[in-house]
Amino acid sequence: MKLVLFLSELLTVASAFVVALHPNVLYASIFLLFTFLGVAVMFVFAGADFIAGAQVVVYVGGVTILILFAIMLTQWLYQMRLRDVGNKLVVPIAVIGLGLVPFLYKGLHQLADFVSKAPPPNLAAFSGSPKTTAIGEALLSSYLLPFEGITILLLGALVGAVWLARPK
Amino acid sequence: MNSAAFAHTLQSWFGVGPLWAWAALSAFLVIFLLALPFGGIATYVERKVAADIQDRVGPNRVGPYGILQFLADGVKMLAKEDFMPAGADRFLFNLAPVLVVVGACSAFAALPLGKYLVGADLNIGIFYILAVTTLIAPGILLGSWASQNKWSLLGGLRGAAQIVSYEIPVALSILPAVLISGTLQIGLIVEQQGWAWSAEGLQQYHFWNGFHNPFTFIAMFLLFIGGLAETNRIPFDLPEAESELVSGFNTEFSGMRFGLYALAEFCDVFVMSAVVTALYLGGWHIPFVNIEGLGVTLPQGLVVLIQFGVFLVKTLILVFVVMWLRWTLPRLRVDQLMGLCWKGLTPLALLNLLGTALWMWIFKGQSLAQLIYGAFA
Amino acid sequence: MSLIDWATGLHGYLFIGAMLFVLGIIGILSRKNAIGILLGIELVLNAAGINFVAFSKYRTAMVEGQVVTLFIILIAAAEAAVALAIILRFYRLKQTIDAGEANLLRN
Repeated sequence: MKLVLFLSELLTVASAFVVALHPNVLYASIFLLFTFLGVAVMFVFAGADFIAGAQVVVYVGGVTILILFAIMLTQWLYQMRLRDVGNKLVVPIAVIGLGLVPFLYKGLHQLADFVSKAPPPNLAAFSGSPKTTAIGEALLSSYLLPFEGITILLLGALVGAVWLARPK
Repeated sequence: MNSAAFAHTLQSWFGVGPLWAWAALSAFLVIFLLALPFGGIATYVERKVAADIQDRVGPNRVGPYGILQFLADGVKMLAKEDFMPAGADRFLFNLAPVLVVVGACSAFAALPLGKYLVGADLNIGIFYILAVTTLIAPGILLGSWASQNKWSLLGGLRGAAQIVSYEIPVALSILPAVLISGTLQIGLIVEQQGWAWSAEGLQQYHFWNGFHNPFTFIAMFLLFIGGLAETNRIPFDLPEAESELVSGFNTEFSGMRFGLYALAEFCDVFVMSAVVTALYLGGWHIPFVNIEGLGVTLPQGLVVLIQFGVFLVKTLILVFVVMWLRWTLPRLRVDQLMGLCWKGLTPLALLNLLGTALWMWIFKGQSLAQLIYGAFA
Repeated sequence: MSLIDWATGLHGYLFIGAMLFVLGIIGILSRKNAIGILLGIELVLNAAGINFVAFSKYRTAMVEGQVVTLFIILIAAAEAAVALAIILRFYRLKQTIDAGEANLLRN
């Protein structure tokens, strides 16, 4: 079981590398799809079953398709070529960014050790319990205001996107 | 709670071995004994059904009544030259059929083939099926792009737009069944559709969800229509239309790659029919009979087999209807298709959801059958 | 602790979240294509989601962290839709989606 989680973490990070650094933006969006799938598997192992399903439905089935459509509609469609020009600064930025990672790691290790010293009482039962009912109850009681706010946000985004992309 | 999973059932029968080995074996069995043979035999059945409807004979040379035709097709596809168009993108061209097949076949893991035969009785069962079948859309899109062919690209764009648009009526039509059962777990949803007699008369389970109230009856049909559109079947098969786009998004795929696309399409048809069966048509319940409540105690193997058979019969009837529609109805134009989804099915599905919620509130969750029985009992 | 124990516990989740965040920032800073920048933004939002879910399990064992992750997913989808609509509009104007070409307000 833990091996599956470890492999999915490797998949996620490797795909994220490709997303950040590959010159061809179409390949980057496909590896973004794999990153989303890897993150969904990580969610399942952290006990977030409903969120993993939501991740796949919204991100893989929605955002990825959206990005692929946008790429195909804006990249020299009738010449069918997709060479991204790329940036000269990729290598310095990548080196600086990845060079900061060991410092991040040190801080994160201390934080994780600190949090792991006082685990919550029902940690073992948390992963297996179904969360859908709990999330539903939370959404309609404590988090009702953000829930309604998000519905208005989605409505605004829908209307705005349709208006922005309207034909002339 | 007792797991209804296939792996647990196998382990309890044989008693030995780690659970993960039984899980791997059950995955192997479900895919290689159900999904793939169904995909193959469905190609043969479709041709025979087409022949019947068109008043001709169909394949009848290979084996008795042409039944081995799907094996001959398989051999033909494997033996074909594996070429790629000149400017095609190698990686994407190879990846696209894989995505489509993975998306279609992964859903088999959560189908309730019987009370003790669910591959994985997930807490989010029906949500998982919905999530995993969305992997088909990027596969179609990438395959059409990688073909370096304008007509393929048009077919792929239309196909992906169609799949993404029709997910909304499908998801909204799944919700009334979830509302009635109060859970996303498919095993529980099917179990609650039983009609169980006991000494006191009708027990508390309601009859099939499709006949629970008028709104779910309509939702059942909406789910079926949405499933037709999700799998690119007539009357929604413009993306792969033979007379319009030279076979649409799978023009440039030949041999086994095309075989994978066809296999994924039939597997997806099976999954959609199985979802309609499980959610609205009672899954593995025989109408008016409770197998486990009869006087005699049947061996569990026989019960499992009967329930699997019932589920298969119901699903295959729906698959037959899907094939029947293919040779009966004309194809919708792409603007009619999208208009039907956004202006017809989605508002109707929303009204169904609202109606079901109102019914559940007013009648305290009882089905029409229970109300009638309660009025006369 | 062994590598697998490290990677599959809270340490692993936080590290993956941090790596995705750093790679997302690298993507945003180094890409000229506007859609490439959007890909980086999606990575950053996913990293935040991983963090919330990890702490929801290992610190509180309550469902609130997952509710916030749900909100993050929904907001990311809305933002991707609007961003892509803007990109399409920009493409109609300039026939390119190079981020360096968005200089109409420069004097």
